Amino acid sequence: MKKDIAITVKDLHITYRGLKKTSIRASWKNFGNKIELFQALKGVSFEVEKGKILGIIGKNGSGKSTMLRAIAGIFSPDKGSIDLHNHTISLLSIGVGFNKKLTGKENIFLSGMLLGFSEEEIKEKEKEIIDFADIGDFIYKPVKTYSSGMYSKLAFAITAILETDIILIDEVLSVGDAKFKEKSYNKMKELISAEDRTVVIVSHSLDTIAELCDEVLWLHEGKIKKIGKPDKIIEEYSKFMAI
Amino acid sequence: MKKFFHNLKKYFKYSIYSAKAELKSEVADSYLNWLWWIIEPVCFMLIYTFVFGVVFKNSEAYFASFVFIGLTAWEFFNRMISGSVKLITNNRDLVTKVYIPKYILLLSKSFTYIFKTGISIIITFILMAFQGVHFTWHIAFLIPILLVIYVFTFGIGLFLMHFGVTFNDLANLTNIGLRMVFYVSGVFYNISKRLSGNLAHILLNYNPIAFCMNELRKVMIYNELPNFLGLGIWFVVGILICMLGISTIHKNENSYAKVI
Repeated sequence: MKKDIAITVKDLHITYRGLKKTSIRASWKNFGNKIELFQALKGVSFEVEKGKILGIIGKNGSGKSTMLRAIAGIFSPDKGSIDLHNHTISLLSIGVGFNKKLTGKENIFLSGMLLGFSEEEIKEKEKEIIDFADIGDFIYKPVKTYSSGMYSKLAFAITAILETDIILIDEVLSVGDAKFKEKSYNKMKELISAEDRTVVIVSHSLDTIAELCDEVLWLHEGKIKKIGKPDKIIEEYSKFMAI
Repeated sequence: MKKFFHNLKKYFKYSIYSAKAELKSEVADSYLNWLWWIIEPVCFMLIYTFVFGVVFKNSEAYFASFVFIGLTAWEFFNRMISGSVKLITNNRDLVTKVYIPKYILLLSKSFTYIFKTGISIIITFILMAFQGVHFTWHIAFLIPILLVIYVFTFGIGLFLMHFGVTFNDLANLTNIGLRMVFYVSGVFYNISKRLSGNLAHILLNYNPIAFCMNELRKVMIYNELPNFLGLGIWFVVGILICMLGISTIHKNENSYAKVI
């Protein structure tokens, strides 16, 4: 039987330019100097099967977030390719496109439409989102009056309830107070364990990775160090990091 | 181009919604709320009419309407241009977290400006009626002229948005540029009467803003037919700039997130 592949990453290279911005003065000074390049990813290739959960671990600066953003389509690869096989994708991040002067309710639509959902689809899920966010009458008040906890609760609810085929998660497994944390963790588990949903998680919490993932990818300085079953990789990684 | 229309369809509703949201949030905190959209242009018009009509003794017929038409066109151009330079940097949160075709940001922004221009035009009509300007069917040509301004400005905006990402000084440069264009476009004086010979000819024909402003006044105040050939040429030029701008953005937009 042919395996159903959701994400194919081939020989991915991503480079950051060291010289970030130019101004007339700066480009004058740097005239003739070679621009410094920083290679965040140096030739990474892997595949994720449909319905599987992939965890990405690695120390700071190993290119984890860069890779996630590249898969989400925010960066284009400098070399290599990423194929999503026509699946919808979203990067689960907090409060994308919020306008702080508007009410929570209006922001649900703003954020949702930005993620590629139609007004009707959001309307259908609106109640569910409001119920899940659980911030009471604040939903009718401007977002700038929210506490930071309420803000992340609403933001999480939006991305969690409006579902896409592939979900990318970058360390947002805990928001809000203890009660909401548990609720969001459970929701997250429910989301990612759904039969045909493909998930990529970046996290420093090895426990979370061990509990949730089917497969783990260990990135080290922009290259794949190891890829395989969670328990084995995590054990090796812990040893490596302990040195 | 196909990609552009596909994206346009996909994100059109979002850009409308986000434009509405922005307009709402702009006035959400002020006491007079949406009244500002009317007060602001009226005040500017009074200032210019006073300074150039009374202080400098301008004898232009229907001078207030004359100035207001100029201001309406100018304000749209000015807002689009100065708004587009920092557009990507100002939307940093959005650009680094989700993929969105970057010209959609400009499109959405332009809707808020179109709305304000619409108000401005309504005020112009009221002012014209008040001053006893004779209304004729020529006014219908208002729409194609505004379309030419829009297309042209959108094209320029695309390029400024693109270069504004990596080039820090661009905002300062465009400020100087805009001030210059403001004074040579005849917002508060009649180019063809004040200047003569080659200079007037160059200003009126090679500066699309001055050209369009003049055409607007022709159809709105003087009951004349617009210069169809001129409008057609600027329209085509505008479309070409837009096409170039869109393909530039398509090529580069994914790198923006790395730089800002």
